[in-house]
Amino acid sequence: MSGKRVEAITKRLLQQFRRDRRTLALLFVAPIVILGLLGYLIRGSASAPAVGIANEDQGPLGATVAAALAQSTGISTITIQAANGDSKLKDGSLTAYIVFQADFSSQARAGTIAPDVHLEGSQPGTVGPVLQALQQALISIASSAPGQGLHVQPHVTYLYGGPGFDTLDYFGAAFIGLVVFFLVFVVTIVSFLNERSQGTLERLMASPLRRGEIVVGYMLGFTVLALIQSVEVLIFSLAVLKVHNSGNVALIFGLEALMAIAAVNLGIFLSMFARTEFQAVQFIPLVIVPQFLLSGILFSVNSEPRLLQVLSDVLPLTYAVNGLRDVMIKGADLTWGSLQLDVGVVAGFVVLLVVAAVATLRRRIA
Amino acid sequence: MSDSWAVDVQGVSKHFGDVKALDAVTLRVRQGEIYGLLGPNGSGKTTLIRMFVGLVAPNAGTVTVLGKRMPNVALLSHVGYMTQAAALYPGLSVEENVEFFATINGAEGGVKAALEFVKLYDRRDSVVSTLSGGMRQRCSLACALVHKPQLLLLDEPTVGVDPQLRVELWDGFKQMADAGTTIIVSSHVMDEAERCQRLGLILFGKLLTEGSPNEIRAQAGKPTLEEAFLSLSERRA
Repeated sequence: MSGKRVEAITKRLLQQFRRDRRTLALLFVAPIVILGLLGYLIRGSASAPAVGIANEDQGPLGATVAAALAQSTGISTITIQAANGDSKLKDGSLTAYIVFQADFSSQARAGTIAPDVHLEGSQPGTVGPVLQALQQALISIASSAPGQGLHVQPHVTYLYGGPGFDTLDYFGAAFIGLVVFFLVFVVTIVSFLNERSQGTLERLMASPLRRGEIVVGYMLGFTVLALIQSVEVLIFSLAVLKVHNSGNVALIFGLEALMAIAAVNLGIFLSMFARTEFQAVQFIPLVIVPQFLLSGILFSVNSEPRLLQVLSDVLPLTYAVNGLRDVMIKGADLTWGSLQLDVGVVAGFVVLLVVAAVATLRRRIA
Repeated sequence: MSDSWAVDVQGVSKHFGDVKALDAVTLRVRQGEIYGLLGPNGSGKTTLIRMFVGLVAPNAGTVTVLGKRMPNVALLSHVGYMTQAAALYPGLSVEENVEFFATINGAEGGVKAALEFVKLYDRRDSVVSTLSGGMRQRCSLACALVHKPQLLLLDEPTVGVDPQLRVELWDGFKQMADAGTTIIVSSHVMDEAERCQRLGLILFGKLLTEGSPNEIRAQAGKPTLEEAFLSLSERRA
């Protein structure tokens, strides 16, 4: 092995990167952006689930348990009226609420502790901390009333999902859309770049084809492939993985298809800013990863730091993920205002990207 | 009588940043003429050809093609453009490539004739990625002429094509020109230049001189085009 020749290869490699600002950005800017975002998301997020406490107990026990729950670090509690509980679960301001009925103390004296626990249920990760905090609070009572054979029997109800609802049910809904979005994006950006690098785009531009015809033609071609992929992903998720679905399958497919068309146009648009396939792939950590982190797939948008919520609110993936979850977990249909917003934003984004793709195509060639 | 000019370039300049690609070029090409653009690499030949199809806008001057000021997208169905590198879809067959370019140029039929012209009809089902460089070049040529354009722009068309086939292709070009097609060929191959009716010598973005091969040899006082070109280049430089 010759040291000189090895050195020549090493030197060539570094010289090459010196002129490749994009790769340098990928190596040194992307990690800071991704880790910074992740750190801010995890540290800055309100992690303790908000739990409402409605104490209707005519005896003393309800107040004691409520006080113990308020001390709990795993959840943050607020006092509510039992009648408002369901609407607070629906608007997302609470992940659960606990009701101590009027006869809570008297039942406990008879040997049964039976608080009503109402869970929102769509995020399985938040159910654990709520039930755990309740259990710990109840232990404090049991210890204050020794000798009696206390029977703890909470009535747990779920607004969405149910006790069998697991993490895959929660993430599956979002991932059905994400998988299609991501793969269609990569395939489109690389194919459109091929058109540029193999010189055929130059030929198309020297033909009577209009720019819009090229973009729409591409969009339709990839949409055919993307729709077939969407069907496949949907069938696999529902029939094989048995991801929970309370909604209309056609609606899920419609949302998937919208995301696929958005991905096609994002791919065409961004391909204008890359010259090689390698550069195109570099868009993934810079464009796709932050969207993925901020879309609410992993971290609920409601609990993000306020600054990041603003960012999340302008990213189309956020709406797509929200829409898919609303349909599959909550059984939303098009009469729901939130779903109308989700579909409208994603569709608007598609139109915007088509226009942007046509406009950039013109600018780069002339 | 600007109508009789297939291409009319008047005082065209183009710069890319500080680099002057074309500097006040004026030239005209008659209909049915085979005109050769000669010049070394980087002299501005390709920039000029790209202007003929509206892909490059001049900073100054005008480009008129088949009587229409460029850029004019509708006119492009009457123009055939063969780019320098064989720009084809490698995953499609020879026939599929030619059919595609026929369709986007609004032509119906003509695929068989184009493939026979470039002697690729027997290989029409071959996938382009399996072809040799010379065959790709011929397929690319078929794509450029399948819609029977009035103006055919060929950017170094016979690179990698063997000498015998090159002679046959040039015979074909001659027939097309006789039938009224205007052909503009860029080249730095002198034996191709010899086959053109008129030549324009381009150096550093300027048109050095124009004329038939005989006129250019006489002007330089040299026996071959190659020597004439070198001599004229040195005089300017």
